[in-house]
Amino acid sequence: MKRLLYFTADDHCVYAWSRGRLTLEAKFPGDDLGVTAFREYLTGHRGALFYAVADLAGEDFHEELIPYLRGADRELVVQRRLAQRYRDTRLAAALTLGHVSGERRNERLLLTSFTNTQRLTPWLDALAESEARLAGMFSVPLLAPVLAARLGARGGRCFVVTANAAGLRQCYVDQGRLRFARLERMADMAPEASAAFVRSETGRLAQYLSTLRVLPREGPPVQVIVVAPPGQRAAFERTLVSDTRLSFLTVDQSEAVRRAGVKAAPPAMGAEQIYLHLAVRRPPREQFARREDRRSFVLWQLRRGALAAGALGFAGCALYAGASWLDVVDTRAEVADLQAETRTTQQDYQRITSAFPVTQTTTDNLRATVIEFGKIARQTASPERSLVYLSKVLADFPLIEIDSLQWRVDAKAERGARAPASAPAAAAASTAAGDASRAPLEVLEISGRVGTMRGSDYRAITAEVQRFASALRADPAYEVQRTQLPFDVTSEGTLSGDIGAGTDTGEAQRFTIVLARSLR
Amino acid sequence: MTFSARELRLLALPVLACIALLAAGSALIIWTTGKRVAEERALAAAREERSQARERLMRIAEEEREVKEKLEIYRRLKDIGILGEEQRLEWADAMARIRTQLELPDLRYRVERQAPLKTVPGKPANVEFYASTMHVVLALLHEGDLLRFLEDLRASGNAYYAVRSCSVTRSGQAVTITGLSPRLRAECDIDLITILDRAAKA
Repeated sequence: MKRLLYFTADDHCVYAWSRGRLTLEAKFPGDDLGVTAFREYLTGHRGALFYAVADLAGEDFHEELIPYLRGADRELVVQRRLAQRYRDTRLAAALTLGHVSGERRNERLLLTSFTNTQRLTPWLDALAESEARLAGMFSVPLLAPVLAARLGARGGRCFVVTANAAGLRQCYVDQGRLRFARLERMADMAPEASAAFVRSETGRLAQYLSTLRVLPREGPPVQVIVVAPPGQRAAFERTLVSDTRLSFLTVDQSEAVRRAGVKAAPPAMGAEQIYLHLAVRRPPREQFARREDRRSFVLWQLRRGALAAGALGFAGCALYAGASWLDVVDTRAEVADLQAETRTTQQDYQRITSAFPVTQTTTDNLRATVIEFGKIARQTASPERSLVYLSKVLADFPLIEIDSLQWRVDAKAERGARAPASAPAAAAASTAAGDASRAPLEVLEISGRVGTMRGSDYRAITAEVQRFASALRADPAYEVQRTQLPFDVTSEGTLSGDIGAGTDTGEAQRFTIVLARSLR
Repeated sequence: MTFSARELRLLALPVLACIALLAAGSALIIWTTGKRVAEERALAAAREERSQARERLMRIAEEEREVKEKLEIYRRLKDIGILGEEQRLEWADAMARIRTQLELPDLRYRVERQAPLKTVPGKPANVEFYASTMHVVLALLHEGDLLRFLEDLRASGNAYYAVRSCSVTRSGQAVTITGLSPRLRAECDIDLITILDRAAKA
C-alpha cells in the first residue's frame, strides 16, 4: 500500500494507492490545525510509504546556464545556483534541459521551487517525525511530460491543460521536458464557459511565453492537449478551434484516465488523479525533496534491494540446481535402464553357461589355474635334455673328462652376459634386445680336463677344448656363454708357465664351459 | 551516503538474509552438481559394465571351447594331486619307494616350509600357487640314476616338480671289484608346486 499526500491551496488530501486504485483516506485543512491533524493521522501509519504531490500556484521556473560538469562538481554548482535563486532551497530542484554547444560546452537547467515553501515544510517534517518513507516530493508540472507522452504528444512543443481540484493547470513541455507551468483558479462553470476559459488562458500562456522568447513567435502551431472534464469533450471541441498559433487536441478525462492506467478513483476527483497515479507509477528522477528527507525511503529501498537480490540469487541458483536435478533424474533413469540391460545380459550368460560341461570350480578359477600353471610349466625345465645332449657330444671327445656339472634354471639371466664389455656396439645391441633376452635360461656349467696330453702341449690342449666348445654349439638352441681355457690366452688374463725344469708334472689342464638354453 | 549505527542495524538483517539466501543457493548448486557428477560416474560405470557383459556374452562360444579345453587339464592336475593341499607323507613315501627301486646307495632330502609363488596380476584371489623347496642329496653309481630319479619323482605325482638346480660331482671313490660303491654325488633343489583353488568343489 502506497500513500499520496496531495497539496492544494485549500486543503491537503491523503490518498491510498493500490494497484492503480486511488481511495481518499484523509483530508486536512492547509493551516496549522491541519498539520496537527496530519500528525495524529500519521501516528496510526508509522513507517508508511508516501509520495507527496504539490499542485500549487506560485511555482517558480527559471532557466540557467552552467558549465558542463559531472558528478560532485555539477552538484556543487547546481546547489550554488539554487541558493542564489531561492532563499529557501529545501524544496528546490534543477531540471536539465540538455546541453548547449558553443565556444564552451554548457548545460541548460530549469531551476524550480515554490514561492512559499513554509506552507509545505511542516507537513514534510511531520512525515519525517513519524518515520514515514518519503519517496519524493513532486509537483504536478514535474509529472506533466509523462502525461503528455501518455496522451500522444508528438515530441515537439505542447501545452498540457487539465482541470484539477486546485484549478486549471497548464504546463508547457518542450521535447519531452518541462519548461513552464501555471495554475489558474477555476470556478464551477458550464461546459461552454469552461472551454472558453481554457481557450483564453491558453492564449494568454502562449502570449506570455512568446514575450519571454521561450516560445518562438513563428513556426508551426503549438499542440495543446486538453483533458476535458468527464462528459464535456464535445463542448470543449466546439470551442477549442485550432488556428495558426495553437492546435487543440481534446481528450476526455475518462479516456486520459484509462490511458494513464488508473483503475479506480473517487468519483469527484478531477484530472489530479492522473498525476497522482503517475507519481507512483512513473515518478520522474527530478523532485523537490532533499536527500535527508528521503533517507528512510532510500534505506527501505536498500533493504528491499538486498532482500530482492538475495531472493533473485537464490531463485537463479534454484533454477540452475533444478536443471541439474533434472539431469540427475535423467541420468539415474539411464543408469537404471543400463543396469537392467546388464542384468538381462548376465542372466542370458548364466543361462547359456549352465549348459556348459560341469566344472568343479568357477570358470574364472578354471581359466586362471590352467593359464598360470601353463606359465609356470613353461618357465621350468629338467636337466635331462641338457645332460643327454652333453653325453652325445662327449662321445666324439674321448680325451675330455668331466669333473663336475652344475645345472640350474636362471630366471633373470641375460644372454651374452660374458660378451666383451669394451664393445659398445655389442652392449647397445644387448640393451635393445633386452626384453627378448630376459627369458629364463637353463644353464649347464661343465668343468673338466683334457686327459693323456702333455701339460706343456698347450696348443693341442687349447685346440681340443675349443673344438669341444664348438661341438656344443652345434645345436642352435644352445649357446656357449663362457669358455675358460686351461691357458688364459686373452689379453685381459694372466699367462703363466714352468718350462725351465724340463719335466712334465702330468697334471691335466682344467677347463670350464658354460652352456645355456632359453626356456622361451 | 553514510549510515548511522541504527541504520546499519536496520540494514544488517536484509544483508544477512541476502547472504544466507545466496549461500543457500550456492549450496544447492554444489549439492546438485555433486549429485550430477556422481550419477555421471555411475552412468559411465554402468555403460562399462553393460559393455563387458555384452562382450562376454558375445565371446560365449569361444569361452565354451576354452572351458572344455581347460577342463581336461584341470581334471588332470587334480587327478595327479597337483591341485589341492600338500601331500607331504605321500612325498616321503615316494622318496623311499624311488630309492628302493633305483637301489640308490644314499638318498637324503629336506623339504622347506611352503611359500606362495608370485603370480601375474588379475588372477582371481581364490586361486593360490604354493611351492615347497626340496633339497636332495643323492649318491649315484651312474649319472643315469639322476635322470631316472627325476623321472620317477615326476611320475609319483602329488606336486609339480620344478627342478631349480642340480650339480653332479665325482665322489672320488674308486670302483672296487667286490662291490659297487657310489662314484658320483648329486645335489638338487626342486620346487614342489601345488595349487589351491578355494572355489573348487570336493
